[in-house]
Amino acid sequence: MDQKTRDDLLTLFQSKLNEAMRFYLETCTRCGTCTEACHAYASMGQVKYIAAYRHEIIRRIYKKYFKGRGKVWPSVGEAKELNEMALEELYEAAWSCTGCRRCMVYCPFGVDTQMLMSIAKLLLVGASAEPEILTLLADTSIEKGKSLELYKEGFLAGLKRLEEEVVKGWQMEAGETVIPVDVEGADLLYVALAGAHSIVPAAVVFNAARENWTLSFFEAVNFGAFVGDPTRTKLILDRIINEATRLKVKEVCICECGTAYRVMQQLAGRRPFKVSSITDVQARYIREGRIKLSRSTFKGSITYHDPCQMARNAGVIDAPRFILRHLTDDFREMTDDIRYNWCCGGGGGLVALGEDTLDFRMKSSRIKTEQVQETGAQILATACENCHTQLENLNDHYKMGVKVRFLSSMVADALVA
Amino acid sequence: MSDEIKVDKHMDLKGLPCPMPVVKVSKGIKEVELGQVIEAVTTDPGSLTDFPAWARTSGNEILKSEQDGETIRFYIKRTA
Ligand code: SF4
Ligand code: SF4
Repeated sequence: MDQKTRDDLLTLFQSKLNEAMRFYLETCTRCGTCTEACHAYASMGQVKYIAAYRHEIIRRIYKKYFKGRGKVWPSVGEAKELNEMALEELYEAAWSCTGCRRCMVYCPFGVDTQMLMSIAKLLLVGASAEPEILTLLADTSIEKGKSLELYKEGFLAGLKRLEEEVVKGWQMEAGETVIPVDVEGADLLYVALAGAHSIVPAAVVFNAARENWTLSFFEAVNFGAFVGDPTRTKLILDRIINEATRLKVKEVCICECGTAYRVMQQLAGRRPFKVSSITDVQARYIREGRIKLSRSTFKGSITYHDPCQMARNAGVIDAPRFILRHLTDDFREMTDDIRYNWCCGGGGGLVALGEDTLDFRMKSSRIKTEQVQETGAQILATACENCHTQLENLNDHYKMGVKVRFLSSMVADALVA
Repeated sequence: MSDEIKVDKHMDLKGLPCPMPVVKVSKGIKEVELGQVIEAVTTDPGSLTDFPAWARTSGNEILKSEQDGETIRFYIKRTA
């Protein structure tokens, strides 16, 4: 690696060094408490998947090039040069970590592995060594924001194809708009994913609840956040913030996409609207009597996988359980304490990398499969696109024999007049 | 299949949710030569915006798209 490249990468490293990050870098005492916390280590038993091992690479580069200030600083190992080999190690550490933060709950100092891995991801972006497909997907999202007029027609044509299905789910009066778009003064802006499965059931429930809603032109998923590029993350986020501001909505409701919700909730800064997950919104409709659900739509017991970015990392814990109590008399928790729930193994962009990560995703999530199977449930509900795909992959791979469902579509299916 | 366009590679992407059609087509386009054409068939309504935006971003060209019931058919020329 030439000096200029190294200097540029170290400038990127420096840009990440706020107080919290320095604390995480300088505080690990290698106590080993986090060893069993990572699903990849618990499933595969390889040392490189221990959280503290993953950060050690970043910490050693930090030791070589930056001045430490922490008391336990001497316990950090050898200083490490930032070179091609170090980049390969950073790739291995960061792109096998889903950013689930289970290890952080175990760490007595709250060392945040996801934050530390964000340094690794940023250095990889800087060195053009990141999974390039994620950057391309991020740029595709940004392009849609820049040239919306070019894509509007395609978007509206796509929606037209879905209207019939929405009406099948909830009958509308003549003249009512089935999937409203671009409605200034709507109360709620729903930000979906591009597929029918993310739009149709949500629309059915909004219409049943007589919500004054409008659908965003943009998809919720933030590939900039997955790839670990703060500039792209912000550009993708800004498309939605600008749309919400332009339409003067009171609430932005994010679909079942854990990362999209967490990014909007935690990175949007001061904003003139409230941010909710669709799970929160649907729970509210039930509480307010705006929708009613049948407990007999689903036969068999139901368990729920808490998406890490929704539950552990953003606090959406009570709402899904409230909904589930209205869907079944046989709900089975996977864990006594939701903070310690196992990650599905698909987050952090791994699922979007598709077949390239499939083998690792299956091997590293054996422990999740055991957790699901111990519940004995027939239906496995969740509220995140990534988790849903990963859980379906696990279901096929380990022959779990469960039915994996999106919670929001279960709500739509169980609606009663 | 379209009458006028000579297709060099077919990709059946039916049933795949977003972003998989774009992920697959990004890989697929690298498996044909510059100037050659992929025919990609999807059922994901999101691809009606995702494919054109992806093409602009990646520098490839969508020659034509057709909707037929459930399916959406794109003819994409590798130009980058
Ligand atoms: S954040 Fe999750 S995946 Fe990453 S090291 Fe910690 S437990 Fe493992
Ligand atoms: S639990 Fe915390 S302090 Fe202990 S080894 Fe892991 S990261 Fe370091």
